[in-house]
Amino acid sequence: MESVNPVKNSDKVLDQSQRKGLSNGVNPYYSIPIKIKEIIPETSNITTFILDGMPIKFEAGQFAELTVPGVGEAPFTPSSSPYAKNMEFTIMQVGRVTTALFNLKEGDLVGVRGPFGKPYPLKDFKGKEIYIVGGGVGFAPLRSLFLALLHNIKDYKKIYIRYGARTPDDIVYRRLIPDWQKINGVDIALTVDVGDESWKETVGVVTVLLEQIPVNVKSSPTIVCGPPIMLKFATKRLIEAGFTHSNIYLSMESNMSCGFGKCNHCRLGEIYVCKDGPVLTWENVKDIEEPFI
Amino acid sequence: MKLYLLPSDNIIHFITKLAEDGPVFYPVFEDDKVHLNKFDKDKKFELNFEKIRTVETIKHFLFPSRDVVAKFPKDAQKKTERQYLVGVKNCDLRGIDVYDKVFLDWEPIDFGYKQRRENTIIISADCPEPEDCCFCNLVGLNPFCESISDINFTQVSSGLLFEAITKKGDEIINKMEDLFTGASKEVQQQRDKIRKHAINKLNKINKKSFKKDLPKRVEKADKQKMHNARKDCVECHACLHACPTCYCFLLSDYKRGKNFERVRTWDACYYAAYARVGGGANPRSKLDERFWNRFQCKFNYFNKYEGIYACSGCGRCYRGCSGKIDIREILWNL
Repeated sequence: MESVNPVKNSDKVLDQSQRKGLSNGVNPYYSIPIKIKEIIPETSNITTFILDGMPIKFEAGQFAELTVPGVGEAPFTPSSSPYAKNMEFTIMQVGRVTTALFNLKEGDLVGVRGPFGKPYPLKDFKGKEIYIVGGGVGFAPLRSLFLALLHNIKDYKKIYIRYGARTPDDIVYRRLIPDWQKINGVDIALTVDVGDESWKETVGVVTVLLEQIPVNVKSSPTIVCGPPIMLKFATKRLIEAGFTHSNIYLSMESNMSCGFGKCNHCRLGEIYVCKDGPVLTWENVKDIEEPFI
Repeated sequence: MKLYLLPSDNIIHFITKLAEDGPVFYPVFEDDKVHLNKFDKDKKFELNFEKIRTVETIKHFLFPSRDVVAKFPKDAQKKTERQYLVGVKNCDLRGIDVYDKVFLDWEPIDFGYKQRRENTIIISADCPEPEDCCFCNLVGLNPFCESISDINFTQVSSGLLFEAITKKGDEIINKMEDLFTGASKEVQQQRDKIRKHAINKLNKINKKSFKKDLPKRVEKADKQKMHNARKDCVECHACLHACPTCYCFLLSDYKRGKNFERVRTWDACYYAAYARVGGGANPRSKLDERFWNRFQCKFNYFNKYEGIYACSGCGRCYRGCSGKIDIREILWNL
């Protein structure tokens, strides 16, 4: 009898070798315990947790599973530089794990598991203008990228940040932005949906800042992170502006449990967001029916 | 590979000897169904190798439904012991094929699975009488095994005709060589006849093959057609929990005094909250989307990843389905 063999069709699936490289002999389910060194509230519902050291080595763009002991874990991209001494996470309180995290105090123990996913391809960004677009708590992973770029700022032509929040009080890293704005080779523009009397900058959703794009759209990478609705409209605008699809880097949101491409929770189409992402290009996701959930 | 005959009278001695080294699980007939139960030398031994696969999949033995995978703050891993699974059918080995790829080939390696896999000796059996639910032939399998297990055997009139598949299997046979005799030509011919009969029976049960471009057809499946196909689904999730190839899981943490344990439990992509994120958004909030996703996972994506379907053709999904949805009918109609 002739068996019907499945057709091997690998024209679209991401390169399997990209799924390799995590096996370092460590139990991938184990979280490394580490104390919280400092807690800095950024907005009414967003807080930065500074850990007492760097429990895992990571590159900008990779994420980790952060554990609240006995409660559970959730995936976050660190907001600190990969070159920093202390790992930081800037987190918005939204669910069960983050609520438990917000109840912790300085000195309490958390767990870190990772790093997972692929980093930003920084070597491809060399010599180029980098156009970063963020919204809300989406600034957290972008800060990690920004700090990694600053570490070798001479390698890049110019770094642009376009960031939006709901109100001036919802702007993450308001304490740090003035210093960043002074750096040569950095151009930061902010907007809020609703301003107040003290607000002197743009008012409107983040796409308002994307009306005039001062970079060479044909060659520059653009990196976007924010709530799904913002991702959707920002991506639309960036495509219209002429950015190459493979140069539009999007931080995808997905439910993640294991973090390393086995549990299947994060899968969007055939893509494992945890392993092939969490940063994916528009080229990667444009065929998925509804990539922004 | 060389063939050996384990005469009928020696089968119990073979199983008893295996049991001295570790628990042996073999097919036991209870309430009209075959279960994979633990061999007990004080209980009556019965031969049920001619029946189709057991109700339970063998994934239970390598990937328990609830398993402690890490401890905090100090990790401690339990050591697993040698176990023998006897009489496993080839459809269940497709599950092992899928699991080996996911947990051993795809990095990082799952050490718990690796340890159990290395400590589990699989002695598979030919499936001589496929039933109406069986369709292993449609997913590229035969009703007998030629790889993955350590030893395969065919039940013949004078006993069990053994063939070692791995080195481990060869060693087991060599260790107990006193129990075996050489395999005569007649016995080998009997095996060929049994296998041919099983294949013919499968071809009768499943008159049509799946189309060669099934993955593409699944990818482009008509949404309305898929919606109609799932109309009888009551979301009991039996199909997924009974499936030997489904490997979705969820990690949860449980307090144990000052410490906690990380527990891995089976999950199923039909659960409404399966893909929901912390903020409440859900890319597959509708059953139609989850039903669609299951077909993509099994017949499109996994085929793209590894060139095989994540389906064994065992028919457990159909047998367990409250709405009697036949996966074959859906795939034939694409």
